[in-house]
Amino acid sequence: MTTMAPARTEVRRQLTGVRVSDLLNLCGAGAAAIALTALLSSQLAPITSPLGFVAVATAVFLALYALLVSLTERGVAVRDRLVTVVVHGLAFTLLAVLVFIVVFTFARGASALPHLNFFTDDMAMAGPLDPLDVGGIAHAIVGTLIQISIALAITIPLGLLTAVFLSEMPGRFARLVRTVVEAMTALPSIVAGLFVYATLILALGVPKSGLAAATAISIMMLPIMVRSSDVVLRLVPGTLKEASYALGAGQLRTVWQVVLPTTRSGLTTAVILATARGIGETSPVLLTSGFTAAMNTNPTQGPMVSLPLAIFQFVKSPEPTMVARGFGTAAVLMLLVLTLFVVARVVGGSNPLKKDARRRAREQQRRARADHRARRAKRTSRPARTDQPVPQEQS
Amino acid sequence: MSATIEAPRTIPPAAPDEPDVPRRLGTRRSASDKAFRAVLLTSGAAVLAIMGFVGAFLLLRAWDALSQAGWSFLTTQAWEPDSGNFGIAAILVGTILIATVAVVVAVPLALGVALYISEYAPTRIKQSLVSIVDLMAAIPSVVFGLWGFFFLQGRITDLARWLSTTFGWFPPFQVPGSDPSDPLATATVYTSSTFIAGLVVAMMIAPVVASIMREVFTQAPVGEREGALALGSTRWGMIRRVVLPYGKGGIIGGTMLGLGRALGETIAVYMIISPVFAIQWHVLANGGSSVSSLIALRYGESTPFGMSALMAAGLALFLMTLVINFAASSVVARSRSGASS
Amino acid sequence: MRRALAPFIAAILLLSAGAGPAAADSFVPVNGAGSSWSSNAVDQWRRNVEQYGMRINYASTGSSDGRNQFKAGTVDFAITEIPYGLKDGGVVDTPPSRGFVYMPIVAGGTAFMYNLSVGGKQVTNLRLSGDVVTGIFTGTITSWDDPAIAKDNPGLALPKRKIVPVVRSDGSGSTAQFTTWMAARHGKAWDTYCAAAGRSTPCGVTSSYPTIPGKGFVAQPNSQGVAGYVAQRGNVGTITYVEYSYALKTGYPVAKVLNEAGYYVEPTASNVAVGLLGAEINTDEKSPKYLTQDLSGVYTNGDKRTYPLSSYSYIVVPTSTQNGFTAAKGHTLGAFASYFLCEGQQQAEVLGYSPLPVNLVQAGLDQVGKIPGADDANVDIKKCNNPTFSADGSNTLAKNAPQPSECDKQGNDQCDKPTGGAAPPPGSKGDTTGGGTKTPTGTKTDGGTKGTGGGTTGTGGDPGTGGSTGDGTTQGTDGTTDGGTGTGTGTGTGVAVAGPSTGGGPVVCSDDTGQCTNVVSMPIETEARSSGSISPLAVVAACLLLVALVVIPPLVSRGAQARKVRR
Repeated sequence: MTTMAPARTEVRRQLTGVRVSDLLNLCGAGAAAIALTALLSSQLAPITSPLGFVAVATAVFLALYALLVSLTERGVAVRDRLVTVVVHGLAFTLLAVLVFIVVFTFARGASALPHLNFFTDDMAMAGPLDPLDVGGIAHAIVGTLIQISIALAITIPLGLLTAVFLSEMPGRFARLVRTVVEAMTALPSIVAGLFVYATLILALGVPKSGLAAATAISIMMLPIMVRSSDVVLRLVPGTLKEASYALGAGQLRTVWQVVLPTTRSGLTTAVILATARGIGETSPVLLTSGFTAAMNTNPTQGPMVSLPLAIFQFVKSPEPTMVARGFGTAAVLMLLVLTLFVVARVVGGSNPLKKDARRRAREQQRRARADHRARRAKRTSRPARTDQPVPQEQS
Repeated sequence: MSATIEAPRTIPPAAPDEPDVPRRLGTRRSASDKAFRAVLLTSGAAVLAIMGFVGAFLLLRAWDALSQAGWSFLTTQAWEPDSGNFGIAAILVGTILIATVAVVVAVPLALGVALYISEYAPTRIKQSLVSIVDLMAAIPSVVFGLWGFFFLQGRITDLARWLSTTFGWFPPFQVPGSDPSDPLATATVYTSSTFIAGLVVAMMIAPVVASIMREVFTQAPVGEREGALALGSTRWGMIRRVVLPYGKGGIIGGTMLGLGRALGETIAVYMIISPVFAIQWHVLANGGSSVSSLIALRYGESTPFGMSALMAAGLALFLMTLVINFAASSVVARSRSGASS
Repeated sequence: MRRALAPFIAAILLLSAGAGPAAADSFVPVNGAGSSWSSNAVDQWRRNVEQYGMRINYASTGSSDGRNQFKAGTVDFAITEIPYGLKDGGVVDTPPSRGFVYMPIVAGGTAFMYNLSVGGKQVTNLRLSGDVVTGIFTGTITSWDDPAIAKDNPGLALPKRKIVPVVRSDGSGSTAQFTTWMAARHGKAWDTYCAAAGRSTPCGVTSSYPTIPGKGFVAQPNSQGVAGYVAQRGNVGTITYVEYSYALKTGYPVAKVLNEAGYYVEPTASNVAVGLLGAEINTDEKSPKYLTQDLSGVYTNGDKRTYPLSSYSYIVVPTSTQNGFTAAKGHTLGAFASYFLCEGQQQAEVLGYSPLPVNLVQAGLDQVGKIPGADDANVDIKKCNNPTFSADGSNTLAKNAPQPSECDKQGNDQCDKPTGGAAPPPGSKGDTTGGGTKTPTGTKTDGGTKGTGGGTTGTGGDPGTGGSTGDGTTQGTDGTTDGGTGTGTGTGTGVAVAGPSTGGGPVVCSDDTGQCTNVVSMPIETEARSSGSISPLAVVAACLLLVALVVIPPLVSRGAQARKVRR
């Protein structure tokens, strides 16, 4: 099995497996840790905070577990076991907290969500004292959709064209654009909002409106989209393009029929991730869209509320019904983001969140080849740039 | 690189008896290609113009305040722009402290998740875990803000109290004005603190950081992994000698990216902290500040000069994030895993 | 009850022909921003006029923001407590270049809402004099057991708990109202504080409250923010200044404030109306500040019923069509103004505000005509049903305002009736105060012991639980449940709230929503260090011994084995 045929793709071996003694060690150390911490807490120094208790118990648990394992294993193995436990613990903690945040939001919004009017009404007829069966967030849902549509109408053509520009017309100018765009990904979203507030609203007299909000979102999304699309486009193998040119295709044709189809799922991912960022940001909208309790479908006139802003306004109220509405709105916003991902998967032909198996296999082959080449070339420590896999742009 | 791959459209017929000189290769583009390139160039220029305008405008509007405050802009703690007494010493330190708390909490957790997914998780659930983490990275920050304000704030004061009484000898954990032996001591000294805001931001950035780290870890060469294992290494030995060195770029890059996000976070911080305009080293104590929440708080009521001061603060935050981002990308580009993150 | 009122109001509206805007009118949306002090009223009005097809968008972002936005032309109207042109932090807030007039919208009292409990029981009858209020908010009085507070509250034994003043972090009209009062009445203390916070003195009125780091002040944005912060269950010891309606909404008590006549009064609608009889209104129609208020007469109003921090809130409306303001918008805004000046005032009291008197309503209606596009207000103000109106033009609400009871007089033992939102709603009186089985003497004597820390609370005999027969017995049993700690002192019941039947047991509030529910008893948690028979050292030794017992034998055997193998 060690003599693997070089042509076959390498597959990682499964290294998991559980022994009874491992389990017993874990349980024993766990029980001992809880007991010891409880003893310490009740008799010596009271640990008033449950979280503090957990922290102390964890430390005690690790010590005890190391001790237990060291009874039968050597130092290297002890360290391995310890790290295994720590990694599992950290992973479980983070995933549990994140899942809890989502569940918490849904739970607190649960009283608002079952009402149909929550999705079909606006808040125009709902005062602070009205119960949950009056009023809803239709205006915020519509506002979000309108604002993000405008923002996408600006950023998709501009962003994708610029990304194509960066990869198709390299040169000094393109480098400058790339640097500036990369710098602008560092622009805090609130500063983008402040910029639009100071220019459009204060200087040019555009009213606080959906359009102003969409502009602020666009400014925030544009660099993100350009950068991640650029990274995706750079991954197109040069050989593909060369083949197209060799067949006599022009540049436009090559881009249209070779580059874009090849990178379709990557580009969709880039667009969707930027959209998710744009939809969820509160701060640029806070400064630019104004606030209303009523439905407004005209982005150029009058304030237009979006989902994040509605959440922010709802939870400021001391009324429990308003807070429940806020959480309900947050749940709707999360569902919207989830829907986006699903849509992206359908449209892009693959899940933007994960590389599909085919591409991964391809990548692994590429990497293997690159490694092979690199080793032959006296092993320089840097693989060639074109061999980079599709990144998950998050910045 | 692509200048050389433009296809020559016309191949001049070679005369049979002429000496063998290199041909001159010219490119004559079709009308559609020319138009296409023009469009590309325009959009590139447009993006450059927009982004340049944003930067230039920020600088221009901030200039008023910057020129009046001079260097004291960096050293003054108060924020009273209208009386000329303002600076970013306190709010910038506050911003950095919140981001530091966030990174200190988030990075170990994210590292744990990334390692778990790439090294430990059973293959069955690996893909769903990857999806979950990536989806979590897209949760709007206001949701984290809600959780922090309505859930965490009320529950974490216990931990803050315990930390401050137990580890009070460590200066940042001191809470002035709290007396642990006083049964009537109010919990308010532990609320609205840098610590709580940092925790909320940590939960926000952790999935982002984890997603990037995981991406890089899974790329660690299979051959080297197996080599390590074949030489008798434990799994941890393999991780330490193969995965982590390979993924160092991703770890640093992801951390920096998380840091950048943490510095710019507005709403979650705005909902938690109680603004003070003095350097607050005591992260557990009530009061803190951040540039972005200051902007959110004051943009509406500012005089034109106050607006200029806010722009200056925004510019400072932008520059700081910029430096971090560029540092991150240079570190990542030089690492073995490459610029993929 | 408020809901029940709605159809009634609607019926009145329909009956009063001419007063309400004709339903057939076509309206365009109008946008406004500003004060959160009066936003509870504006929000209700906004909702009420929606049925006529009027769309009023209002963002309660703070008075300063509202004035600024109106100046920048991004909103059609602003609501603010203070006019333009005041000097704040060394800068004069210049009036906008567009034409505008002020119009009073509603009156109200800036209340001091607090969250304080003694022995697990919420204090609901706190009284404060002006000096003490100033002392608290300038950081010179820092503990609830301060003698100055005790002097105001002879019937209360307050704990040695830190006072946490909660102030506004944004520019606000509430802060402006409060600081105007402090600057006028307690200028020296206020200036000292201001100077310490780095402001130039004399400080005068300011919209953004200066805070000194390290003083333990908490700053929160918006009225909702400060009220919500105080209303968090854990935040005991906090006090803030906020409009009375927020205290009603969150269910927390407000402090009764000492007036010039030596009575402690609550900012109820009628007390505010009485106080504002002393307000001097600018009646010079030529003045740009026509109709604005000078409140120094309110602060010194000698009527026993005066609430000294009463004030009016104003709407700033444009008088010219610029910055996107059109005649069509003026038409809507005019109709809205006619509505809230007339019918809207009826709801003021229910919402926690006080209705405008007839002279201001009339003057305001005259101002409506100046809005471009507004119909001349042909409102018959006799049909407004405003509780302040009377045939002879005097303020009925003020005239009929109940006199404060003797227990509200300075020096007398205080009343035990809860205030603000802590008062039981009129409809549910029977549920909360039912029973009344308490014996007055029982609590009185308990209260005298001033809750000596170590004691637990009895707080028994919640009025709702009919079973308890009297405080004495209940507390006795509660004392024993506490085990080792409480029995020593025995009397440490700490039920310092004087007098019987405080209207309800201790109030437990959801830490975020501010929803409060009465509970039977809520013993105070003391740091229950065990009544130490075992010394900590012994415990450590025992723990170590235990661990050693578990660990050492296998280690030893392993070592022995290893040696054996080596050999």
